[in-house]
Amino acid sequence: MPHLTVSKVLIPYAQVLSAKPRLILATINAVLVAVLSCLFTSQAYAFDVQSSLISSAEWSARSHNLKRQNFQLTLEPEFILRFDKRVKLTALSRLRSMSLDALSPKKVTDNAYSLYSKPLFIGNSSEFELREFYLEIPSDNYYFTLGKQQVVWGKADGLKVLDIVNPQSYREFILEDFDDSRIPQWMVNIETSVGEWDAQFLWIPDQSYHVLPVDNALYTPTSPLLIPKPPPGVSVEVEPIDQPGRTLMDSDVGLRLSRFWKGWDLSLNYLYQYDNFALPYQRRSITANGPHVEIEPQYRRTHVLGGSFSNAFDDWVLRGEVAYFSDRYFLAEGFSDIDGITKGAEASYVLGLDWAGLENTLISGQLFQSAALNRQSATLRDKTNSTLSLLVNHTLLNETMELRLVWLANTNIGDGLFRLRASYEWQDNLKTWVSTDTYYGSEEGIFGQFDDNDRLTFGVELAFE
Amino acid sequence: MQKFILFTSLFTIFSGPLLAENAVSNNKNKLPSGEQVATNINSRDEGEAVSRKLSIEMSDKRGKTRHRETMGYRKYYAAEKRTVIFYLSPKNIKDTAFLTYDYNDPELEDTQWLYLPALRKVRRISASDRGDYFLGTDMTYEDIKLETRISTADFNFQTLGTCSADGNSGLQIEGTPKTKKIARELGYSKTLSCVDNKIWMVRHSRFWDIKDNLLKTVTISNIEKVQGIWTQHNIDVENHKTGHSTKLTFSAVDYQSPVPDDIFTTNAIKRGL
Repeated sequence: MPHLTVSKVLIPYAQVLSAKPRLILATINAVLVAVLSCLFTSQAYAFDVQSSLISSAEWSARSHNLKRQNFQLTLEPEFILRFDKRVKLTALSRLRSMSLDALSPKKVTDNAYSLYSKPLFIGNSSEFELREFYLEIPSDNYYFTLGKQQVVWGKADGLKVLDIVNPQSYREFILEDFDDSRIPQWMVNIETSVGEWDAQFLWIPDQSYHVLPVDNALYTPTSPLLIPKPPPGVSVEVEPIDQPGRTLMDSDVGLRLSRFWKGWDLSLNYLYQYDNFALPYQRRSITANGPHVEIEPQYRRTHVLGGSFSNAFDDWVLRGEVAYFSDRYFLAEGFSDIDGITKGAEASYVLGLDWAGLENTLISGQLFQSAALNRQSATLRDKTNSTLSLLVNHTLLNETMELRLVWLANTNIGDGLFRLRASYEWQDNLKTWVSTDTYYGSEEGIFGQFDDNDRLTFGVELAFE
Repeated sequence: MQKFILFTSLFTIFSGPLLAENAVSNNKNKLPSGEQVATNINSRDEGEAVSRKLSIEMSDKRGKTRHRETMGYRKYYAAEKRTVIFYLSPKNIKDTAFLTYDYNDPELEDTQWLYLPALRKVRRISASDRGDYFLGTDMTYEDIKLETRISTADFNFQTLGTCSADGNSGLQIEGTPKTKKIARELGYSKTLSCVDNKIWMVRHSRFWDIKDNLLKTVTISNIEKVQGIWTQHNIDVENHKTGHSTKLTFSAVDYQSPVPDDIFTTNAIKRGL
């Protein structure tokens, strides 16, 4: 039986993370080391290793003049170790390098990553990240998944109501696949059966949050709905983010109950988490140089209670998600609130309808709405915010070619995003694609703010096993 | 529309005997009816549960070949048959999984789910997708679900005569969809199958599309007894419209090892093997 030193797996990663290991990393590592030591040293266990590598290159240019926007190379090695009794260890990492300074991996709110999940930045143009590292242990009525992982809840495509367990990187706005933009976290994930229900319990001590581009990066948000605009003549100073740092008390916890009932896929979801967007609290003052605003970004907790459903009827699939956020904080309008933030609650839902009446074609429409409730003062956002989405996906040539249209439209502002993509698999391990992303609408809108970033992309992906 | 119905009726009346291979018209009345043949096929012992490896080789008309390795499980329950297929390789499709509940009650639509690793989500699939081709193969979702059985809920069957396939004599049966809606859903206007009446297995089938053009030919071979149950080891499908073909090779077929119930769940297809 091959022997692998556990320290070879874990120690280099710990060195990459930080010279100041904290309790949580030590605990997680200790558990993993203990379990792995048992697995590797016991003669009773044999294991085999599967490895693979996905390499991809993506070139993008501005749509209107074909001027190069970015060139990006990505390597994603994955190792899966399978032990007896269906125990499995998965390790997936990503090395990414890009040519465009405005998309530099460092031009993000990198302190939104926890110490344990932060990528290693190599110069200004490259990053290395341990994307996932988790151990799966099935037992009689339990299934443990321990380590750094992604957990995906909900039934919606492209619009998130319940898919909020992991934070997300907005380095490329929402253009990256969610699988790539989600920020995996160290967590304990326990699944079990309770009667007819499947229960999932999550404990997430890893305090990572949404990562946003900064410093005039290509996708730095500019919409006043997201970033408060100071009036002319007001000086602004932004303080470092006040991050929650208590390992136990600031953990996120989640519970999902799901079952199949009379044709319906149902789930009930509960999450007690920090909202992954930092809130720009303001401290206003008058100085000798005039009005001054100090921004003190903070994270705030909320209870999230929700559910999801889906069922098929003839050619149609109906699916949806709903969530209620007990504590939401919105940007206040003008000076209606002393610190620029007003408290309330929020209810969101997405309702989707898929139609598969044409051969090898999926047409899917979704309505996403969120309503701000019980606001203590006027907010910049409308009380109700609505977004529509349309997906048309068609495969041909025995699924070697795929054509896809995605249209997202915000009906409050009237802005939106068109995405067209054609991909072709030349071989099992070789795929190319060409795509366009076109924004439209007011620059005040979530989509319209990137109206100058329309792009044409060509990509190639090669896999090795 | 009336012209179409008339044409279809005439086609059915006159073309059936002509299409039958080695039809023996004077024996026709002595042969079992199409419904009896279908019943015999569907009541053949398939074991309560089975696990097996399935290799899929797909080739297009230019000779480009793609390979898939899968692991499949099937189990009969009181009210339904459950089938799950896990894709093991290559990397671009690995961890994709398909789960279906096929209910005994013909009034109930099948329930189907597909796990797509790129989305990390289990998607509910409309049962009327059953005429769509399954993950790039020349088999439809319905073909995958039925395996070597035939659907008496969707087709009327009649025995046309005798036939021979792979050196084995058998009965030629013709299947016609019960309604136009079913024909549209499945993509077939007619099937013609040669059924080995010694073991009640289909050895050769031809399928016509809804415009009555020959669509594909299915050849089932290397049929051997495994643990006392007649088992096909090769299914070759040739699509005459596209020139594409699919070869399915079954191995490690096991009817005796227990198949756990929790493998037929959405959690299981999400976790993979």
